[in-house]
Amino acid sequence: TFRKQADSKVLPQPGHELGFSNLIACYWFLILRLLPPHLSQPMGTKAMEAFVVNETPVFMNKPPPHVFKLMSLPSMIIKLTLGLLWCIIHLAISLLSLCSHLIFNLECSLISSGLLWKYRNLQLGRLKYLAIVVDSREAKNTVKINQLLYWLKTLGVKYVCLYDIDGVLKKLFAPGMNGSRDNNPGDYLDASANIKALDCCQKQMTIECISGSDGKEGIAKAANLLCSSYLNGDSYTQENVKSEENVKSEENVENEPVFTETDMASALKSIGCAGPEPDLLLVYGPARCHLGFPTWRLRYTEIMHMGPLKSMKYGAIVKAFHNYSKKHQNYGK
Amino acid sequence: MPLSNSTSAPAAEVLLPEGLEAESLPRHVALVMDGNSRWAAARGLPPTDGHEHGMRALMKTVRLSRAWGIRVLTAFGFSLENWNRPKAEVDFLMALIERFINDNLAEFMREGTRLRIIGDRSRLPVSVQKTARDAEEATRNNSRLHLVLAISYSGRMDIVQACRKLAQKVDAKLLRPEDIDESLFADELQTSCAADEASSSCPDLLIRTSGELRLSNFLLWQSAYSELFFTDTLWPDFGEAQYLQALRAFQSRDRRFGARKN
Repeated sequence: TFRKQADSKVLPQPGHELGFSNLIACYWFLILRLLPPHLSQPMGTKAMEAFVVNETPVFMNKPPPHVFKLMSLPSMIIKLTLGLLWCIIHLAISLLSLCSHLIFNLECSLISSGLLWKYRNLQLGRLKYLAIVVDSREAKNTVKINQLLYWLKTLGVKYVCLYDIDGVLKKLFAPGMNGSRDNNPGDYLDASANIKALDCCQKQMTIECISGSDGKEGIAKAANLLCSSYLNGDSYTQENVKSEENVKSEENVENEPVFTETDMASALKSIGCAGPEPDLLLVYGPARCHLGFPTWRLRYTEIMHMGPLKSMKYGAIVKAFHNYSKKHQNYGK
Repeated sequence: MPLSNSTSAPAAEVLLPEGLEAESLPRHVALVMDGNSRWAAARGLPPTDGHEHGMRALMKTVRLSRAWGIRVLTAFGFSLENWNRPKAEVDFLMALIERFINDNLAEFMREGTRLRIIGDRSRLPVSVQKTARDAEEATRNNSRLHLVLAISYSGRMDIVQACRKLAQKVDAKLLRPEDIDESLFADELQTSCAADEASSSCPDLLIRTSGELRLSNFLLWQSAYSELFFTDTLWPDFGEAQYLQALRAFQSRDRRFGARKN
């Protein structure tokens, strides 16, 4: 089942709602607790009792296990009424959740069929670089990955960066990457070894595949490089010292290294971990988390969680692109 | 100002709202407090009113975090890019930050809240630097809640300054360049000040208000495995209900931190 939270930018997610079988289990629990032991034993075996106990919500009142006596009529009525009330509330919430899920699916279908006018003419001018984060378990689903890439290509996306933390996508795409490059590769093809090595044969869309080793590990290696350069008295850091505005640096310029963001970016490029900053990042997986996507590149990236890859929808991608096109960034100003 | 003796341990029994489980609450929560100006504009008020109400919402969140056993709360108060705003607004924000620290210092000391400021302090007014320094010193023995205010902070600059510190250590022969790994690097980030046995410098949950879906150069390294919760609520309206919503969403997630589930 799916759950949509009011007032939050959360697309439907798998939740933990109790199903209809659990409603029945709740009724069994109530009945077992209310009946005397000699009547409950044959009916409710220990296995059945364990099952209903496990499936019951925690806020149901549970009488102590050793107390098995016939309840008075008013108490029984109250308990049954409370149980019924809980079940009605649960049913209402489940129905709301189901409706929300159906509405979402309907909307995606309408978007896919082109019936919704506002999604017809997508303006992708601002979307130069798209990144996709996939949970590594789902990244093995090559059918879904290829379908996703096909959809993105039909939508006119020019540059896609695929990421999963374990490098499954890198291994997936590495063998097949023997197609010709574009005649006009553009600046970004020089930015990363991953692009050069994995340049796709699809002429109209460049695909970059990266993994967890290009993220934090890449920054640690870049730091290693910067420190080595500084230790060797590399001139480029000395020049940057002079050009940087640093209030306290005048007297300490000879003693203190002054690295800049430019230095870091150059170091990342040197070790093959550079790349364009994605404008939009789509996350496919159970958690709303970018799973270690290269952090240096995420400064102003819009991050949208799309749910599990297995339930991806073309309409959801179109909706995400449409929402992105409406975004306005102040960049802190 | 006398040093605080409030080295109080977390409360023995905290009454959590319905649906929250103490053992699966995030230990470290990060906040991007966005939407103050829009909140004020929606009400026909000047932006300064929005920031005032935003300050009250922050204190509310601090009190809730303390009550519910959150160990670290990192709030993004002012970014490096915010210096490009009109001078009048920047001056107001600096004065607001100073007033926030002064007005709430007594409560921090009483309730065991440790205050830390991260970011490029050299750009802050001298009076704000002094206030921050004094408050950090006064609360340094507190341990119930670490409140980290990111003022004049940039995630990228945090990474760069970590490189700088490592280079200094390499220069002082305390370290070899080839020894630099993720762990060593993380220890040099400004947020490492809030890490202890009970909590990590990396937030478990990162909340951003006002409907924007980005990090905006906040905790870039540290948020690699953070649950990202984006809400349309504007920051001055962020209260207990919205905080609960975020915490419940966090509890329902399957977080594996890149590992496989057995």
